[in-house]
Amino acid sequence: MMILEVKDLTKTYTGRFGGNQVQALKGVTFTVEAGEYVAIMGESGSGKTTLLNILAALDRPTGGTVLLDGKNPAGLRDDELAAYRRNNLGFVFQEFNLLDTFSLKDNILLPLVLSGKSVPEMEEKLAAVAEPLGIGDILNKYPYEVSGGQKQRAAAARAMITDPKLILADEPTGALDSQSSSDLLRVFEKMNGNGQTILMVTHSTDAASHANRVLFIRDGVVFHQIYRGGCTNEQLYQKISDTLTMLRKGGEV
Amino acid sequence: MSLYSGMARQNIKKNYRFFIPRILTEAGLLASFYIVFTLAGDSRMRTVRGGSLLPSFMAVGAAVIALLSVVLMLYTNSFLMKQRKREFGLYNVLGMEKRHVGKVLFRESLYSSLAGITAGTALGILFYKLCSLLICRLLGVESVLGFYYISPATVIPSVLGFLAIDLLTCLYNRYSIGVMKPVELMASAQTGEKEPKVRPLMLILGTVSLAAGYYLAVATRDPLEAIACFFIAVFLVIIGTYFLFVTGTTFVLQRLKNRKSYYYRPKHMTAVSGLLYRMKQNAVGLASICILATGVLIMISSTVSLYAGSEETLANNYPMDLYMNATYRNREEQKVTVSSETLEGIVREAAAKNGLEIEKITAQRYLEFGGAFADGVCILERVSQVSSSTAYYDIITADTYRALTGSALALSGNQVAFCSLNTSYGKVYDGDTLTIGGAEYRITERLTYFPLNAGVTTAYQRYGIVVSGEEALQAVYEAQREAYGSNASGITEKICVKFTDREKACEAGPELEDEISRGVRDFAAAQPDAAEFLGIGYFTDTVWKGRDEIHGMNGSFLFLGILLGLVCLFATALIIYYKQISEGYEDRNRYQIMEKIGMSQKEVRESIRSQVRKVFFLPLAAAGVHVCFAFPMVLKMLKLLLLSRATLFILCTGATFLVFALVYVVIYSVTAKTYYKIVH
Repeated sequence: MMILEVKDLTKTYTGRFGGNQVQALKGVTFTVEAGEYVAIMGESGSGKTTLLNILAALDRPTGGTVLLDGKNPAGLRDDELAAYRRNNLGFVFQEFNLLDTFSLKDNILLPLVLSGKSVPEMEEKLAAVAEPLGIGDILNKYPYEVSGGQKQRAAAARAMITDPKLILADEPTGALDSQSSSDLLRVFEKMNGNGQTILMVTHSTDAASHANRVLFIRDGVVFHQIYRGGCTNEQLYQKISDTLTMLRKGGEV
Repeated sequence: MSLYSGMARQNIKKNYRFFIPRILTEAGLLASFYIVFTLAGDSRMRTVRGGSLLPSFMAVGAAVIALLSVVLMLYTNSFLMKQRKREFGLYNVLGMEKRHVGKVLFRESLYSSLAGITAGTALGILFYKLCSLLICRLLGVESVLGFYYISPATVIPSVLGFLAIDLLTCLYNRYSIGVMKPVELMASAQTGEKEPKVRPLMLILGTVSLAAGYYLAVATRDPLEAIACFFIAVFLVIIGTYFLFVTGTTFVLQRLKNRKSYYYRPKHMTAVSGLLYRMKQNAVGLASICILATGVLIMISSTVSLYAGSEETLANNYPMDLYMNATYRNREEQKVTVSSETLEGIVREAAAKNGLEIEKITAQRYLEFGGAFADGVCILERVSQVSSSTAYYDIITADTYRALTGSALALSGNQVAFCSLNTSYGKVYDGDTLTIGGAEYRITERLTYFPLNAGVTTAYQRYGIVVSGEEALQAVYEAQREAYGSNASGITEKICVKFTDREKACEAGPELEDEISRGVRDFAAAQPDAAEFLGIGYFTDTVWKGRDEIHGMNGSFLFLGILLGLVCLFATALIIYYKQISEGYEDRNRYQIMEKIGMSQKEVRESIRSQVRKVFFLPLAAAGVHVCFAFPMVLKMLKLLLLSRATLFILCTGATFLVFALVYVVIYSVTAKTYYKIVH
């Protein structure tokens, strides 16, 4: 089943006085099947963040369509968009984006509260996501009291708790040390193993090597993709770094 | 050298959101200090009718403004420094030594101080003229001041004073930069904040002291006690306000947070936790706003009602237009009271010469003395310090009573008629006996009206006693003469004159008094033993002198009330402004996160707006409650200043509160604009 369909997506940024047009996306087309784990790679300025912002409905495309589960968010009003994001998407950001005025528990529950769920239902779901992530015993702590890895796992729990159709992760390991990074990537693998669809933007080869499929973006277009096939993480890692070397040289694959 | 100056200029430009209010604050405070300080010393003001009280009032006002200036300047400075710590840390990390940062800081202070002081002096000189006109208007006199008045004797101390405050803050800043480590400076703006905890001891202390303050304000019955208790009550309420703002709000919010079914609702969750943190950072500032607002409200409403009630006070205290008595010492060194017939003759003649018509003249013969009163005993002790047992006595004979009222009292021997003149605080004596200097009298009549001093508002206990006849009056006179010796009061003969046209009498007042004085001299000269007279003393109390005094006092009060009220209002605006800015910088980040997680822009904006509104209107509401509780106490103190009508004060307080609330809303919405600009 196809969960995400991105077709001919373009985005042009116009300078303040009409001049200076920059084309960040020049026609991106790809699809994601339900249960897939896709990594999108590219160098700074390749258009990764723009793409993710459009997928998250935080930004609107200049042209092309995004269909999530067959629906197009482009026509929604601001308040409908907020509900759309809440119900269909889960986010994990590089900078965690936890609210410092909430305990981890309240941070994780926030999307459910916004959707108006009842307290018993919330607690049930909380238990279901917190335990597997290993943060069950620090739920009452505040973000400033826990490590970066714990913060990012809390953010992952917040992304999962609404059972979203798609989890969007933006450089989730970017602010973590290597141990916390591999912990988090294992969490993602486990989530994916349970059938969760994940789309991750990263420029870490290590992070990308955990995915089933890796898309490469350069100059605003999908330039290349690699399927895991039967590879182990290490083999995929090798393939990715070969491709990156090739890209850097500016050659064709 | 020019590098530091350049950086300083650049910094001021970049941080204009902080520097402009700071400069304005300094200018405003300096201008108001200069005006009040100059008024206190302006010799021409003293010569204005009713201006005799002005210098001492203004001196007090200047001291209050000086104190407020120090506090406010330190506050704006600390705010500025807190917001800029990261910037200083960055300079440090980039290789500037602390002394270099100090040099930049010094130049920044110098520039902003010069700007503030120059503007303040100019404003002060400019508005001095306006304020002196306003004062003359309030005193009800023609303006005597011609040109702009610049007094170097007050400009120089004002400027030096504010320079000293600036130097002080500058040295403090240099010191605080010196002791900080660069890493701390860098990190100080972004450390995670602990969730505020309820401090039970503080909560209890705050509640108790607020309750005690309120109780004192409401339960005090006696105007004199009210003055003594007022400052205690103010102190208790201030403590209570600070403690409850700091921990009481946390207590309520924590309880709400613990109620899961309430807390986990879209509207409540962000609001409760947001408020919890906001209150932690802002409680002290908000409590200060609340106290300043209460001060403004009480000051303005009481001075306005005093001023508005001036004519009524005058009418109460002067049922007649002119009161006069006279005594001289004869050859035997004895004090002789000039008879009321003689006085009447003098006044009638003087009035006729000035073309004034007399409506009526009454003569009063009475003995008045002070002491104390307890359980039916007149305690004959000199009043050296006024207390709640202090009492004054007016004693007349039954004959005088009949002459004044037209009704006869059947009194004989040691029988007396008794009247409590000031029952406003519930001390009514209902016993049957009265003891004066060892002699016991029987109270056989109770009067509700006493013809002497009718209607006069007084703050002390005051009793009117009618004795059976001349013999009894002399007995009382002797008793108090024995107790007081040379300080004893004599029996006074006084005439009270009412003219048909009070306004005309007021206009002709000075000439009339000249005429009376001539008449008294003529009378003295006509006495057979005139050559050996040891002088004749006469005393007049007139409605026109009273009017000048009451207008002078109430006008000076009102002027000070308005000026101090404005300064407090300015301080309130300043604190609100700085609060909004610091809130804005902190909320910006939170706002963005919530949007990413799936709150719509509208929801986020509404949530933040409702929190900010609650935070800023809490002090106003609390100030309203404070004012309500302060009301009975202030009313009693106003009685000492001779204002007796409660409805007038209620009206003035209500109107002041409305105007203040309006100004508050305007200040809030203007500063809220800055807030939203920062957030977006």
